[in-house]
Amino acid sequence: MKKSIFSLLAVLISLLAFSISMPPDLSEGQKSELKTSPQDSSNEAFDKMMQVLMHQRCVNCHPAGDVPIKGEDSHVTRSLGISGGEKGHGLKSINCQTCHTDENNDFSGVPGAPHWALAPKSMAWEGKTRVEIATQMMDPKLNGGRSAKEIMEHLTEHELVLWAWDPGVDAEGTPRETPPVSKDEYIAAVKEWINKGAIIPNK
Amino acid sequence: MKISFIINGKNETLEVDGNTPLLWAIRDVLDLKGTKFGCGKAACGACTIHVDGQQVRSCSYPVKYAEGKKITTIEGLSNGSELHAVQQAWEEFVVPQCGYCQPGFIMSTAALLKQIPNPTDEDIDNAIINVCRCGTYYRMRKAIHRAAEIQAEFISSSSVNADK
Amino acid sequence: MTLQSNANKNPKSSSRRKFLIRGSIGTIGVLALGTYVFRNPLRRTVLEMAETLVPPYSGSGTEANLWFEITNENSIILHSPKVEMGQGTFTGLAQIVADEMEVNMNQVMVKAAATDTGIVDGMSTGGSLSIAQLFQPLREMAATMRLMIHQEAAGLLGVAVEAVSISNGVFSGGGKNLTYAEVASKIKEWKLPETPELKPISSYKYVGKPVKRIDQLAKIKGEPVFGMDASLPNMLHATVIRPEHVGATLKSVDTTNAISMPGVVKIIEQEGWVGIIANSFPEALAAKRKVKVEWEKSKEWTEEGIRDLLKVGNGNKMITQKEGATIDSDDPNATIYEFTSPIGAHAQMEPNGAVASVKDGKATVILSTQVIGITQKQVAEALGLEPENVNIICTYLGGGFGRRLNTSHAVQAAIMSREVGRPVKYFFTRKEEFQNDTFRPPTHHIMKGRLTENGSLEHLEHHYASGDVAINSVLMPAAMHSVLGTDVGAMRGGNIMYNAIPNYRAVQWHTTLPFATSWWRSLGLLANTFAIESFIDEMSIKAERNPVEFRLEMLSNDEKGERIKNVIQKAVAMTDFHSDVSNNRAMGLAASIDAGSPCAHVVEVSVTDQKIKVEKVTCVLDCGFAVNPDQVKAQCEGSIIMGISAVLHEKMTLKDGRLYPIIYGAYDMALMKDAPKEIDVHLIQGVDIPLPVGEPPLGPIGAAIGNAVRRITGKRLTDLPLKL
Repeated sequence: MKKSIFSLLAVLISLLAFSISMPPDLSEGQKSELKTSPQDSSNEAFDKMMQVLMHQRCVNCHPAGDVPIKGEDSHVTRSLGISGGEKGHGLKSINCQTCHTDENNDFSGVPGAPHWALAPKSMAWEGKTRVEIATQMMDPKLNGGRSAKEIMEHLTEHELVLWAWDPGVDAEGTPRETPPVSKDEYIAAVKEWINKGAIIPNK
Repeated sequence: MKISFIINGKNETLEVDGNTPLLWAIRDVLDLKGTKFGCGKAACGACTIHVDGQQVRSCSYPVKYAEGKKITTIEGLSNGSELHAVQQAWEEFVVPQCGYCQPGFIMSTAALLKQIPNPTDEDIDNAIINVCRCGTYYRMRKAIHRAAEIQAEFISSSSVNADK
Repeated sequence: MTLQSNANKNPKSSSRRKFLIRGSIGTIGVLALGTYVFRNPLRRTVLEMAETLVPPYSGSGTEANLWFEITNENSIILHSPKVEMGQGTFTGLAQIVADEMEVNMNQVMVKAAATDTGIVDGMSTGGSLSIAQLFQPLREMAATMRLMIHQEAAGLLGVAVEAVSISNGVFSGGGKNLTYAEVASKIKEWKLPETPELKPISSYKYVGKPVKRIDQLAKIKGEPVFGMDASLPNMLHATVIRPEHVGATLKSVDTTNAISMPGVVKIIEQEGWVGIIANSFPEALAAKRKVKVEWEKSKEWTEEGIRDLLKVGNGNKMITQKEGATIDSDDPNATIYEFTSPIGAHAQMEPNGAVASVKDGKATVILSTQVIGITQKQVAEALGLEPENVNIICTYLGGGFGRRLNTSHAVQAAIMSREVGRPVKYFFTRKEEFQNDTFRPPTHHIMKGRLTENGSLEHLEHHYASGDVAINSVLMPAAMHSVLGTDVGAMRGGNIMYNAIPNYRAVQWHTTLPFATSWWRSLGLLANTFAIESFIDEMSIKAERNPVEFRLEMLSNDEKGERIKNVIQKAVAMTDFHSDVSNNRAMGLAASIDAGSPCAHVVEVSVTDQKIKVEKVTCVLDCGFAVNPDQVKAQCEGSIIMGISAVLHEKMTLKDGRLYPIIYGAYDMALMKDAPKEIDVHLIQGVDIPLPVGEPPLGPIGAAIGNAVRRITGKRLTDLPLKL
């Protein structure tokens, strides 16, 4: 179970880490396809995807350091000193599952999803630009050795990632904010961007 | 829905809404009042219990997830009449003041010592993140170190007995 | 079966059993004194008394037989008029009882007296006064009770009183033994003796010793001892909707979608609040979310709006101290600093709540309260009942800190019980706690000083603005304001203790804020001492003087001054205090005197990545005679950590017109990682009676930390919480 959390998060981060000049695991054929792809639609897809990835629903669990960023209702903050530890799962005796289960809890307002965890420290997004995040996400050295395909699967299929569109309510029954792009649009954008070579714009 | 679990060694079956926080099933259905309500949002740790040996903040844990599991609350932490090592240390150092947060801290500490039998100050800082308003942290830290010693003495004496 | 020594529960009808204990035990406390006393020109004198005097115990009765209950197991139950909220009072009282009644500690139990089974304090449990007030009366009552039973025992044993010895609650004489319980059960008519001479303190076995807390085992084992743990048969659970916005009032309520929710029994609309009563708490909470409420919001209060209201120069002015001349406003040699402190939350761990049962013209309310007698009056008034038909049962308190001086929720629970005809348990959610606290008011301070050419202070002035502390609280109605002219709570620590300075004064500006502010452990002391002692330190730096010598020369040579000097000198000696900085680590010193107990702290502080950390605190407190030195130390440790929390972490703000934050974590508090690993407490017995303990050590902590940070960084931090 823990391994799968790790890999999922690793994959999530690594998605964004392709370098422009050298997409590391695209075949020659894909590369040639790339040349013929319209740059504009790839960039547009990238924009959409990054609006999601840079939203608090994603960044909160990709913090700089190993402490989650506070949620909207501020129940998790740095002042409590909650730590994801090296791998993002928490510490031995107190970990993410001490408070979070596999689903949102409407009574307490504590959110939950399968494999609730932080991204490993190497995959921090907080405070980074979208180009930096994407580059880091697609770099196998930083993304846990994920291929572009694995990153795509992770970004578009994994429950913890897709939780962003079903983030539940806080303890007052107020819904949490969802990302600014719909789930379907986002999934389509991720696929388009990666299928078109995961080209990261200059800025 | 019907939920069955073992709590403090006893089989219990409840008829409750599966999404009810386990805390309220424990306090108001099973009438075990040692597990406290502090914030209802898993932020203070007053409701800490063990589920299958892992510490859980029961105010945010739906009762349905407890199905078939083993739950320990403060009432079940000691072994019969003998207090748990953490409780013994708490008594020795006279830790509690108002006492409301103490069961949660004791359960968190017991969970910590299971994973890290001899925690450093840094381990304690990282792992014990419950809230105590009376400010008993200073004595608690000493008691946690002492509990580790008591536990170690107990383990070594049990292994001696086992050898005999 | 328990056997109560008080056969007749109506104390008024058993006058021959009445104990006259001391002339000074009356029905007055310092805040409730007859108003005439406060008329000018005595006003200032009275204010000075209010600052230093331990007011007499203000319980309503003097019947010893209402205080003690003797069980068949030969235990003594003390029905305490004061409550236990963590401060260790019950243990101290048990020590006194055990020593004077010649029983073992484990034979004494202490319970908070309920209004219909014992004597409750007419005012409150607070002000760090419980042991200080009860020490003498309880010794006398316990000794009288012992002698009374001793005399009866002699009669039963058929020997002279002098021939009967007592040990561990057993009387021996003529070769026979009788327990307290055996004697008590045989007595038909009690004969009241004169109060005997008390044992010398030096002969006590328990008093003055570090006896372990009598309540700790129950607390360690998680026994149901708190108000939140109470229940009554057939009880329902309730939650309440109340305004979130400061100053908002209820406009309209639509319960259509809520009333059909599972488990809901009744939803009631009252003035200003809505009560949702259901079979279980989760059901009540789920239904609460379905109630649609519209609020009338007259104004959106902001942080700035509050700051504008609350500043020196605004509101009611009262000079609380005056000696010599003032500093001219345009004096070029004057040094002026401003300080502020934020709104503080109590954040006690046990939420406020109550279990109430109202039926057939009688009410029972079980709760954690610091004001049992006042809660009784309020519930009786709200329900239109006679107070004697309202029984208030107080449990252990899951923290008090002043928050439980306001128990309006007891009234709400009682009303809901009346409406459904069944017992109801109602308590606050944590959000309600944070938004409806009776906060520590924010403060604003202007310090002015002027040095002589020799580097001594010749002028010192403290001008301070505060919201309500004592005023408008249940202990002090608004009408008292016109009499006193000042808020005696906000005044705590506001006056200058350096009475050897030729010219000094303290001026209070009081404003009532649009949200409730009140007692918060140590009242005005925390912020006032922060301002004064930070400024004193700054002046010593400006004068290029040693901060210890600088302070000592400004303290007078009277008893008070000498006691303050003592704690400072002891703290300095214990720590080898110096002003050097090494590895971003330095010491800070500050002192204060509160309610007659002087306290000095030397803190060792480190600064790493702009983060302030308190590494060690050395605390010297002169608390007079310590009934339980270990628990006095525990109070010092707790005060220090709560003080560090307030000084380095805590702050409530206004956001969208609401008080914020609403949860632990977001309301940043000191946790394990923030608590000093070393706290060295040293107690001095400067006088022979017990003095207040639970609040005085909060005084110097803010300035001591700020003074250390000043050494390390060169920056004088003037706003709480201290941030670099």
